[in-house]
Amino acid sequence: MHYKTILAASLTTLALAACGSSGDYEVKEKIDVAEPGQASDGGSSSGGGDILAAGEAAFAVCSGCHSADNGSPSQAGPNLYGVFGRKAGSLDDFSYSEAMTGSGITWDEASLDAYLADPAGNVEGTQMVAGAIPDADTRKAVIAYLKSLSE
Amino acid sequence: MNDMTPETASQNPKRSRLAKWSRRGFIGAGVLAGGGLLIGIGVRPGNPIGDLAPKVAGGDGEELINSWVKIDADNIVTAIVPHCEMGQGAHSVLGQMLADELDADWSKVRVMQAPADGSYVVSDTARMFIAPFTLNAADWIEPTYDGLFKQMAHAADALITGGSSSIRSTGQYSMRIAGAAARKMLKGAAAESWEVDPVEIETRDSMLIHKASGKSAPYSEFASAAAEQDMDQTPTLKKASEFRLMGKSKPRTDIPAKINGTAEFGIDAAPEGLNLTYAAVIRPPVPGTTALSMDASKAKTMRGVLKILNMENFIAVVAESYWHAQQAVNTIEVEWSEPESPIKTMQDQFDAFAAKLDEAGDTGGLEAAGKGDVPSVLDDAAKTFDAEYKVPYLAHAPMEPLNCTASVGDGQCEIWTSTQVPLMARSEVASALDLSTDDVIIHHPFLGGAFGRRLAAEYVSMAARLAKETGYPVKMIWSREEDTQKAFYRNADTCRMRGGVDGVGKLVAFDSLFTQRHDPAQACVPAMYDIANTSIRVAEADLHLPFQAWRSVDHSHQGWFIESFIDEAAHAAGADPVEFRLGMLGKSPRHAAALKKVAEISNWGDKGGKGNAKGVAIVESFGTIVAEVIEVDMRSGKPKLTNCWAVCDAGFVMNPDGFRNQIEGGIIFGLTAAMYGGLDLKDGAIVQSNFHDYKMLRMNEVPDIKVALINSGDVPVGGAGEPGLPPAAPALTNAIFAATGKRLRELPIAKQFA
Repeated sequence: MHYKTILAASLTTLALAACGSSGDYEVKEKIDVAEPGQASDGGSSSGGGDILAAGEAAFAVCSGCHSADNGSPSQAGPNLYGVFGRKAGSLDDFSYSEAMTGSGITWDEASLDAYLADPAGNVEGTQMVAGAIPDADTRKAVIAYLKSLSE
Repeated sequence: MNDMTPETASQNPKRSRLAKWSRRGFIGAGVLAGGGLLIGIGVRPGNPIGDLAPKVAGGDGEELINSWVKIDADNIVTAIVPHCEMGQGAHSVLGQMLADELDADWSKVRVMQAPADGSYVVSDTARMFIAPFTLNAADWIEPTYDGLFKQMAHAADALITGGSSSIRSTGQYSMRIAGAAARKMLKGAAAESWEVDPVEIETRDSMLIHKASGKSAPYSEFASAAAEQDMDQTPTLKKASEFRLMGKSKPRTDIPAKINGTAEFGIDAAPEGLNLTYAAVIRPPVPGTTALSMDASKAKTMRGVLKILNMENFIAVVAESYWHAQQAVNTIEVEWSEPESPIKTMQDQFDAFAAKLDEAGDTGGLEAAGKGDVPSVLDDAAKTFDAEYKVPYLAHAPMEPLNCTASVGDGQCEIWTSTQVPLMARSEVASALDLSTDDVIIHHPFLGGAFGRRLAAEYVSMAARLAKETGYPVKMIWSREEDTQKAFYRNADTCRMRGGVDGVGKLVAFDSLFTQRHDPAQACVPAMYDIANTSIRVAEADLHLPFQAWRSVDHSHQGWFIESFIDEAAHAAGADPVEFRLGMLGKSPRHAAALKKVAEISNWGDKGGKGNAKGVAIVESFGTIVAEVIEVDMRSGKPKLTNCWAVCDAGFVMNPDGFRNQIEGGIIFGLTAAMYGGLDLKDGAIVQSNFHDYKMLRMNEVPDIKVALINSGDVPVGGAGEPGLPPAAPALTNAIFAATGKRLRELPIAKQFA
């Protein structure tokens, strides 16, 4: 009598755990937005503010060494106000490495992107030994922010 | 399964870093190859050698002699264990048990997790779940039972880690026997080669030694030859006095990786060669409902979003990162179907319980156990008393969020996830994707906590369906809120108890009526107490929230019901709670010994100052007896837990440090639930969402815990993961009663002192 009860109760637990299969459910709706690598970056029309905000937020890390205020002196790193479109190593109040002054770079999206991804690898001999931004989206946001500072 | 591409094979060294092993990993990367010898044959009747051989022995020079041990060319012994590691330390202790019987050098012992394959079904665990009463069957009956239970285990996909069973089933019935059998075969092989009598050969530290001739050799030298030896199906196991590793607090093998951060959990899955996408999900807020439609107009404009899906039983956004997916899914408005359950609030749930209990009355319901004549003895008792107890639903809240990584292609599905039931997960995925189980490959790394939550595998098939539907490899991660609100739960319940004492204050009748009975079936029976008349009755009621075993399962509430009521009985009889219990433990000497010892180490006789008091409880669960005393300080008007003493008798403790850790963890888990645990319902959906409103006991709230062990010897070995929990809540509420005179009949405690 008790044997049966116990067996039945315990089998229920195993059976319970085994059910709940999702084999019975259907896909009711599927919205294809993008393929991997092609996803929206937030859009330039509606999302412009978002990317600048994201860039400014990410720049908090950079601000340990770099000021971005118009007219502020350079610190451990050069002031970055107006860096977009500027020739590399051209501020008077900062002592650049020879590697940087001799790099021949004029900062634009592509050169900033390459440099920020791997500063020491991109301009060998640069004093900027920390602060690489490995994430492409974050670099993009930071560059957008820097660009906005030069206007 | 074996038609793997070279590209897949090259991924395998990374996967083997954990010293865990998949069939493909082994074959492809030669993790076990390189001159190594795999030893793998079933040591138990019914273990299908023929089935196993092609699956575990991949390369040249590898032979099988038993399915749980491997000895390689470096003389490294590897224990292949069929259980998951979720923080309980089972891997390490199972290795200890095998190594001891094998006389292996502990510094050269490794532990590897068995692949999610039916051949590694833990039939002893299944037996514990299915029919605990056969555990002590006579030896001659074992093969028959084993065959039967292996069949049942297969049917139920029982590669389970649960029921506090790893040590007492796999350890005792597989690891030790495998180790002893392998040692005997190694001795036999050496004896033939050296032309000496095997009994003259000693084994120690993975070496074979023949003193008379001065010959010695490492195990690895005879590992291949050992495969030719006859295998003893019932090798002689060591006596406790001969143990070298069992009973010792060997450091756990899984700890270093967890300290230095190299341990990989399910959520860390990053299979090489897979360009992962990430999914965040919304599940139905009320159980049983489905998504009729969704408004994803905002989500589809958001950054990183790839696909948005209404999968009927959940909504998902698949995106370039988890953050993008979660941000997008948060903006989706879903129209859900109408719930069938009439229950909207916890009051509704308790009303539904009450209706069933009322219907059963004083004698109705299904009798789970009983003896004597409770109704007439209650009529004649010198004093009768009754009480009604209520417990809430509880969430498991494991620290590692629920997650699953799935990849579908070429008619196969590959899964990486933290699960307690890899084979059940495999079956669920096969069913959801209409594949054969052979085409589903489950990798199951460390679990960042489970407590029963990962006995359900619904999240695994969800990820598999997303991978199939999108065509991408997908890592799905649930937010904490999803897991708190839309998962499986420890059941709520109401229990009505009646008791009667005779003229000399002896409890002569005990009646218990409740609505929930899951597992273990005997949890509701106070079998250790000698009470002449008992009736244990179930009036089954439906649960609004789906059930899943939660650490110690029915003992988590039954332990509190029974030990609260026994305390009330002691009070009604005017007796000391320890003395009153001892008076009923005449036929349970191990329980009595544990109770006496906990009274002694807690200095029970010292009643403390004003507002300061102790409570006691004793519960046997999963083969281990645990008596606890908790001291509480009520001077601030709220309970402050000052001390907890626990005495445990598990028969024999294999690793005392690991055992204590488990008991302490169980106590803290139990006290957390007792103090704070409880889910509220609004419109049928769970109100609590995250750790701010589903609180854990914090370090400064945890009492000083002392755990003492009794090795009472010649009894089946008990478990460790759960038994510390059940006595914690009643010891605490009994202490609060002793301090204040206020009897708590509802949990959680804290809100009653707010």
